[in-house]
Amino acid sequence: MILKAPYWLRQAEVLGMNRRNAEYIMRYNPRSAFPFVDDKVLTKHLAAQHQIPTPSLYHLIENHGDIVGLKERLGDQHEFVVKPARGAGGSGIILITDIKPEGFIKQNGEIISQADFSYHIFDVLSGIYSLEGLEDRALFEALVHPDPVFSDVSYEGVPDIRIVVYRGVPVMGMVRLPTKASDGKANLHRGAIGAGIEISTGRTLTAVHRSEVITHHPDTGNPVSGIQVPSWSTILLMAARAYEMTKLGYIGVDIVIDKEHGPLLLEINARPGLAIQLANRMGLRKRLEEIDKAPTEVFAMPEDRIEWAGQKFA
Amino acid sequence: MKRPVVLLVSLLLFLPLVLITYRIIFLGYPPFPTAPQRAWQISMDARIEAEENKEIMVKVGLPYSRAGQVVIEERITSGRLDFHLLSEGPNHIGLWSGTVGPRAEIIGYRSTILLSSQRPIKTPLPKLGAFPAKMSKVEQDLAKRLVGKWIQLSPSERLRAIAATATNIWGEPPPADQDLRAWSALQEKFGRTNAFLLLFRTAELPAQVAEGLWLTEGVTSIPITWIEIWTGKEWECMLPSVGKIYKGSTNLLPLIFGEVDAVRVSEGKLSEIRWTLNRQILSQWRYHSERIRRSGRLLDLWSLFRLPPEFQETFRILLLVPIGALMIGVLRNIIGFPTFGTFMPVLMALAFRNTGLLYGLGIFAGFVLIGYTARRSMERLRLLLIPRLSVILTLVIFCFTVLALIGSRFGRWELMAVGLLPFVILTMTIERFFVITEEAGAREGFRTAMGSALVASMTYGILHVETLQLTFFVYPELLFAVAAAQVLLGRYTGYRLSEVFRFRRFRSSS
Repeated sequence: MILKAPYWLRQAEVLGMNRRNAEYIMRYNPRSAFPFVDDKVLTKHLAAQHQIPTPSLYHLIENHGDIVGLKERLGDQHEFVVKPARGAGGSGIILITDIKPEGFIKQNGEIISQADFSYHIFDVLSGIYSLEGLEDRALFEALVHPDPVFSDVSYEGVPDIRIVVYRGVPVMGMVRLPTKASDGKANLHRGAIGAGIEISTGRTLTAVHRSEVITHHPDTGNPVSGIQVPSWSTILLMAARAYEMTKLGYIGVDIVIDKEHGPLLLEINARPGLAIQLANRMGLRKRLEEIDKAPTEVFAMPEDRIEWAGQKFA
Repeated sequence: MKRPVVLLVSLLLFLPLVLITYRIIFLGYPPFPTAPQRAWQISMDARIEAEENKEIMVKVGLPYSRAGQVVIEERITSGRLDFHLLSEGPNHIGLWSGTVGPRAEIIGYRSTILLSSQRPIKTPLPKLGAFPAKMSKVEQDLAKRLVGKWIQLSPSERLRAIAATATNIWGEPPPADQDLRAWSALQEKFGRTNAFLLLFRTAELPAQVAEGLWLTEGVTSIPITWIEIWTGKEWECMLPSVGKIYKGSTNLLPLIFGEVDAVRVSEGKLSEIRWTLNRQILSQWRYHSERIRRSGRLLDLWSLFRLPPEFQETFRILLLVPIGALMIGVLRNIIGFPTFGTFMPVLMALAFRNTGLLYGLGIFAGFVLIGYTARRSMERLRLLLIPRLSVILTLVIFCFTVLALIGSRFGRWELMAVGLLPFVILTMTIERFFVITEEAGAREGFRTAMGSALVASMTYGILHVETLQLTFFVYPELLFAVAAAQVLLGRYTGYRLSEVFRFRRFRSSS
């Protein structure tokens, strides 16, 4: 309209931020549905109603007073994750692997004293990690033990799978692999790797690390492409059903694969980022437009949508 | 583009278009409010001496708004005398009266005179007056012999023929020698001006005497006299001494018309009087602001010029803030600039008006750095969110105080104005800067800070364009047009410039 985009950018059918906001988020994501995805506790409850598995919720702290006697109430749960319910971008999350007399042991071996831990909970409650700075809740949930499939290509942390779902149809997927630079967090702008996943097969493609294409993990040196994601069809089905669950037309569904429990829904993002296009070396627009052209019967059941996507997005 | 959007945008553009057209055509608004206009600054100063406790009276002819000239911003100095403005026929007379103190009184008059070549105000058609007083049949007959032969000419030609006699050009056939001698004697007896008035009356040209000033820069203490002659469509001026004719109002500034002096004093003595004229270039809006304040038209009654001056200043800036917001929209949605918060740069730009851009940016950068260092070291103290923000706020206020004191010590007004910076915005910016730096790295924090500073500077630049300020002030309906642009921007779904860089990898792969 105002600027003529370069030919190659349009040719690749890359989805830009403005179009994502105006044509997809604003059109298909009603504001009234946002609270269910912005609050992880609400997401958990909703997922339970729709038979979508999530890491089990151990404990919820809503008031500053609740922190007294926390240790006792956690009982023999010595392994858990603390999260702000309304946090964004992975901030405020602490992974605890053990409780010892000297304090809480973090996954990377650091010890957090009881006082520091309480301080962190206070921070969470006063809302410094929350999206709008509102008062928040701290949730304690089961620590995920990642499936070993990605252990050769991740540095600590828990790799997670992001699937963009448009009107219930899985459009594009990637797996985010933590690196040393990302401090074990599966967060792309902190330096995690994003590897594209082929929708039809569930095999990883090339990867992107800080907007550079890579073929091998920078810390472990192992190749990142060609890895078969386990339980891929279950993952796709969970992602597709997130549409019925949230009523949101354009979402990013984040799933982790637990060694024991299989795929678990971690969270749903109503404003999924655009980096997935870099990980897949493919623009989103073409696929989104194909979905808009699909016959209505495709959208009836989650299973139909996955089948259609599997054929179309080879 | 969606139909409702097109409709809304058209409406938002149509509304100001209609209003502005109406204002320009029917209310005579200036299409370019800041276009320069010729103006004169006139001032009259006089010194009056009188015996103590004696009532004195000074009457001075003053310029007033008439065809071709508008008088604005009049100011009077009257010392301990009373001042009244009188109307005497066509004249506006300033009357100073009262008793003069032991020392002389100084009286004064100042105003700005705007000359416009606009359509003349309709004046009643002047009628041919009586013959000058004291002139007998003998003089009238003489005049008839002198100018009778020109009665067939057009008024303008008649005027020029008579004016030429001032330089002894009488045309063919020349008058008899004794008539010319009688004419010289007549001028001696009644004065040259009155003699010419007789000729104009005889030639059936309406004429009047005027006293006033040359419109040239300088100081004068004696007004000059000329005759204004109606030539059917306009008054033309003739200097009786040389017979020179001037048209329009660009050369002479009349103070008084008729057989009265521009300055009259009773019971006192003017020991000194002088008029000073200075040429000025004024923006048209000043003239219009004056006119609007006097007009009874609906749109003039609801003009921003009706606000008290101290509020006008605020609105001149406020009306441009939406442009700043529009620009932020452009920079963020089309270019892809990162900024702290949405409107933070606009608020910064507004605050920089008091400190100046360079000082503002410097102070801003300094505060963010100090705040960041403090915030980092406070991380260990484990303070809760609100008390922690309060500590930063206190630090910001403390820095304000120190800076203001330094400013006052060294006489730097810019530093003292620091108190007008939005401290809440500064506090939040420090926190945001810290969070971005922690979460996305120092590079991202720096990038965002630079983006914010750049946007603030650009907004500052826009807020300072006087032409824009005045245009929006005269035509506040332009806000609708800004809104139209904002709506259009809101429908921009194309790529951002930053995305061309972000997705540059697709260049090679396609």
